[in-house]
Amino acid sequence: MNNTFYGPRSGESAWLWFAKALSGLVMIVILIIHFIANHFAAPNGLLSYADIVRYYQNPLVLAMEIGFVAFAVSHALIGLRGIILDLKPGAAFIRVINWLFTLLGASAIIYGIWLILTIAGRGAA
Amino acid sequence: MTETRWNVTFRVYRKKGAAAAHYDEFRLEVDPDEYVLDAIERIWAYQDRSLTFRHACHHSTCGACGMRVNGAEKLTCITPVRQVARDGGVIRVEPLRNFPVVSDLAVDMGVFYRRMEMGEQLPVNVDKREAIQPEARPAGPGGDQLRLADCIECGLCISACPISASSPGYLGPAVLAGIHQHGLQGSERLLELVDSEDGVWRCHSAFECTAVCPASVEPGWRIMELRREVIGQRIRGLFHGPKSSKNGQLEASQ
Amino acid sequence: MIEITKGSLLGRAAKWFDPRWRTLNMLGFILNRVTAIGLTLYLFLHLGVLSLLAQGAKAYDGFIALAHSPVFIFGEALVVAAGFIHGLNGIRIALNSFGIGARYQKALLVLVLVVALACSLVFAVRMFGA
Repeated sequence: MNNTFYGPRSGESAWLWFAKALSGLVMIVILIIHFIANHFAAPNGLLSYADIVRYYQNPLVLAMEIGFVAFAVSHALIGLRGIILDLKPGAAFIRVINWLFTLLGASAIIYGIWLILTIAGRGAA
Repeated sequence: MTETRWNVTFRVYRKKGAAAAHYDEFRLEVDPDEYVLDAIERIWAYQDRSLTFRHACHHSTCGACGMRVNGAEKLTCITPVRQVARDGGVIRVEPLRNFPVVSDLAVDMGVFYRRMEMGEQLPVNVDKREAIQPEARPAGPGGDQLRLADCIECGLCISACPISASSPGYLGPAVLAGIHQHGLQGSERLLELVDSEDGVWRCHSAFECTAVCPASVEPGWRIMELRREVIGQRIRGLFHGPKSSKNGQLEASQ
Repeated sequence: MIEITKGSLLGRAAKWFDPRWRTLNMLGFILNRVTAIGLTLYLFLHLGVLSLLAQGAKAYDGFIALAHSPVFIFGEALVVAAGFIHGLNGIRIALNSFGIGARYQKALLVLVLVVALACSLVFAVRMFGA
């Protein structure tokens, strides 16, 4: 059986963990606001297209939703990367994952922001 | 010791060389206040001389007899039969997880010991098989030669850790706890070691290590404290600028 | 140089989710990991479904009609439960990582699970009642 002595690989730094913890905490706050606002305070609980468009005219709502997308996606992908690292992948594999997740995360956040702004724009029409 | 005798069946993990692992059953008459290790020794002595296992001090000081009893990590020299079985019951004995099995119940602790040494505590050099002279030994925070005062390096925590199960590179609870006890003491090398992919950030707070530790080391808590130290150092590093570290050399700066 | 596999990837990952012969602490670890993966899948699903908004009122409102089915609501109740478990346990883990409460983390875990269960039940009752 293999009994090789491995040297540790620096690069999984304190900062990424810190970002995950921070985004997690921020998300809890936003999630509470998101839930109360979207499903209790908003008219009809936002269950129809028209309600949503009207709701998204408020710039505070836009800021909250955009923040939510950014933090949620970051937290999820940093966490997922951590789970993969727990399986001790090779150096090449983790480099691919880094690129893939950065791309995936950026795309998801950009898409989310685009979607939010598009819906908001429908209301002005 | 009482006069009671229980009839207990021991289901013992066996593995020799490249052959597939299997379990052998041994029936024993035991005093319920005897320890599981005593029973294993009697199995070896009277029933199967090919059974391989480790034991030394018999009083929870040396850390040699760590095994899994009914699936849970235990020091078998202090685990009474009464605690893990009843009359007519079965006791399953297996080697520790997350170490390569050498033979039956004995596992290879080599990598583990070498990693403990990386925490700059070197009373005995594993590779040179000789003791390092007192002047050359680095002192612990109290000035004494401490090799983690409580830890008996039994490996139970490594066996219990779910991350050690999936990542052979993870330094593991005992090693990180040892480094916390020793203190980072401004060593750039130690900081790089723990602030790494295989260091403190691999821990996910399962706290199984603390649950099985027989020596009150509380590795889970120590890893959390070490994280705080690391973050503190990194934040301080932002203000002081990067230190020049000579890669690969053993040094304790400042 | 660096030997990675001591077993298949899935085999090693499966060890995380085996609660046998382990303490309560391990349950916390397993729940956090399971809810993390579940919530991540839900997140991307949610973002995908919301694209229906861009397709206009008919597409979105048509989907919302589906959302009243019991199967759907049950799924959403699971997401809410996962959110509570992961969020509250996450707060506990974050506190531990800053040295707060690490010595009585087991008691905190029990508290987290009880509160999460209670909140999940309240939400489930409300969701099915509506």
